[in-house]
Amino acid sequence: MLVIVEMINTKLATLDLFKEVNNTFPKTKEIVELKSKGKKVIGWLCTYVPEEIIHAAGALPVRITGYGQEVELEDANAFMYINNCSFSRSCLQMGLKGEYEYLDGVIGSSTCDGARRLFDLWCHYISTPFHHMISVPRKYTEQAHTLYYDQIVLFKKSFEDFMGIAISDEALLDSVYVYNESRRLLKRLYELRKLENPPITGAETMEILNANFRMPKELFNRYLNKLLEELETSGIEHKCRSRLMVTGSVMNNPEFIKSIEDLGALVVTDELCTGTRYWSDTVVLDGRTPLNAISRRYLDNFPCARMVPSDERFNRVLDLVKDYRVDGVISQIIRYCVPYAHDVPLITPRLKVISVPTLGLDVEYGTSGSGQIRTRVQAFLEMLEAKRK
Amino acid sequence: MTGTENSSQIVSLIRTFKMLNRFNRTRSDARQSRILYFDMLTEYYTQIKNAHDAGKMIASHPVFFPAEILYAMDIVPMHTEMTTWMDALFLKEQGELLAKGAELGLAPEICSPHRGVAGMFALQKVPRPDIILWSNLICDNTAKFGELVMQITGSPGYFLDNPFQNSPAEMSYLVGELKDMIHFLEQNTGRKMDYTKLSDIVVRMDHEIELYREISDLRKAVPCPMSIDGYLELLGADYMFPGQPASAKYLTLLRDELKIQVESGRGVISPERFRLMTLFIPPLYLINHLADIYAGLGTVSVVEPMFTRWSEGRLDPSKPLESIALKSFLLPERRSMYGLFGQTAINDITESAEQFKVDGAVYWAFLGCRHTCATIKIIKETLNDVDVPMLTIDCDLVDPTVNSKEDTQSKFQQFIELLEDR
Repeated sequence: MLVIVEMINTKLATLDLFKEVNNTFPKTKEIVELKSKGKKVIGWLCTYVPEEIIHAAGALPVRITGYGQEVELEDANAFMYINNCSFSRSCLQMGLKGEYEYLDGVIGSSTCDGARRLFDLWCHYISTPFHHMISVPRKYTEQAHTLYYDQIVLFKKSFEDFMGIAISDEALLDSVYVYNESRRLLKRLYELRKLENPPITGAETMEILNANFRMPKELFNRYLNKLLEELETSGIEHKCRSRLMVTGSVMNNPEFIKSIEDLGALVVTDELCTGTRYWSDTVVLDGRTPLNAISRRYLDNFPCARMVPSDERFNRVLDLVKDYRVDGVISQIIRYCVPYAHDVPLITPRLKVISVPTLGLDVEYGTSGSGQIRTRVQAFLEMLEAKRK
Repeated sequence: MTGTENSSQIVSLIRTFKMLNRFNRTRSDARQSRILYFDMLTEYYTQIKNAHDAGKMIASHPVFFPAEILYAMDIVPMHTEMTTWMDALFLKEQGELLAKGAELGLAPEICSPHRGVAGMFALQKVPRPDIILWSNLICDNTAKFGELVMQITGSPGYFLDNPFQNSPAEMSYLVGELKDMIHFLEQNTGRKMDYTKLSDIVVRMDHEIELYREISDLRKAVPCPMSIDGYLELLGADYMFPGQPASAKYLTLLRDELKIQVESGRGVISPERFRLMTLFIPPLYLINHLADIYAGLGTVSVVEPMFTRWSEGRLDPSKPLESIALKSFLLPERRSMYGLFGQTAINDITESAEQFKVDGAVYWAFLGCRHTCATIKIIKETLNDVDVPMLTIDCDLVDPTVNSKEDTQSKFQQFIELLEDR
């Protein structure tokens, strides 16, 4: 007999604040207000861009994301061709439509073909004043760290020139503190998801994560602190028929996760660059200069599928599966997201060895979980239940 | 396991190249450089077939990989994508390789030659490579396919991390990566790097780059002395035989042949009606048919800026590793396919159109090559600015189910009609 999700309807007031940010993004109240006060807002395209440097210069870093739903991407299809991933095309579409017209700069990194071409086209067709591309090695060797550090130094210098200021070590340290605090709070949030009956759903967590990219970090930390207090005392318990993990391409759509959870499962963790991979590792100073420590953290962070060897990522995925007692993995891969697509034949057998089934979903960015996806997830959940019996 | 036990694809290729050359040698109009090229291919695959029996090690490697290192260490190189290309071009067995790739779990969006490579190794169509080498130059597919090949073959591998942009730090990083790769190869093959040999290879490679430039310049002549199939030979010469005596001989012969034709005012087709720029690579399974279409319509491909125009710079044999690293920055492909797509790449397109007196351009939009297709609109607009129309044809390099020769011919004819109306 199936156990369905039990939703205790206790209001999490602070969660609504995060949702409000997301519902009004890209032109949120805070962004509009900061712009009116002359503050610079800088868009970043990938998690290998160190936000602390932007923050330390007194600018607001904002993650460039695409539409929160599957929409026609006519302009982007014409500009970028249809065989680039729909995340890149969705971001470009928003840029071309002027949704990010307030940005003072765009920072890219050479992480994947989609990201680098999005940056190229953004530079060519969208008149954002400042552009910078960071070369990111694909390895973790000392040589790779030296190169990445060199790139971070170049970026800092270039950004200082644009901002007309020098970024001090003290300012970087302050930013490291603020960002590490944010990472620690998100870790606390995720710890709650390890509980037998977590007080928060995967879809709600995604709302929080999205807001994290879109508002001043200090304000986010205040809100999240408050929300954690609410969660820890709320008595909310979400029971579920299966505990799931979502892996794969960039995905930040709460509706997609909600469509899975509406079937009675609970997404308890993820391996997404909008989720765990964004916050999991802190900047560790350990006697290093702030810039060096930042550089270390970003290259050594929970890796994207772009990095070699992939075992580093696979091992972390397997650890998450164990830590969060995951019953099954949903591997959602955006069409033409080649780095993740190549890993399917490599990671699926590793999960099979520890008896964790995988459901592979080919999706488009922004999908909210169409009828077919729901049908497949439903069948997957039934299979997981049959396996447990 | 010996090389002869599991090399059906290699054996078929060798047989095909020999047969083609038997036929070529009977033709009075056959280009001697073409005959030499097929002899080189025969020798290349014979080396692979016999490698294990001869006690040699085989290292597989992808496109834009410094195979010079392997030649200097007397390790037999096996170019993975070229081998699947050859399969599509000459054996037409790519369907079987792609089906196996799909069976392994590779999505259809993944570049078909790489799906084919996985299928080729899984089906044991070629001898098992002892070493798997791969690199991120030039895309996510080249960066990602190596680990699966390692899993399939059980062979150890090394990933060469080629930096994205061209700065002193990145050049230094690449030299360090090459050193690490050599160390890996020495550890895993028992072979030692012969730096004297590598310097000799660099000398030849530098000379070959000069020959590539001369050949490119000769194609500016009206009428143009080389056809579209010659373009693919140029790619093969560098991809498979970099810095080798055979490729130097081939390029010298081709250069001399083209020179004679230019001096005598003879083009590869007569009359030459339209001069085309080729962007990316035409479907390999259509290449012979395409040569006929081009000839039938009086058109000739005179320049391929993404593949045949080398950047400025010379190699220095006294610094062999630095030179091998530098070569990867001089590659024509690097300007438009790797690193930022900026003004240099745009200027390259404009200059090519002007210098080669181009009437039109054909962009072969290989759907598996996302990063090149992403720049189609910029290139089209750039060409429009210099009054050169561009035809874009969606295609796949090796998968014949994406477009038929009839469809390609029809699009091509319509484009030629458009050029005629101008």
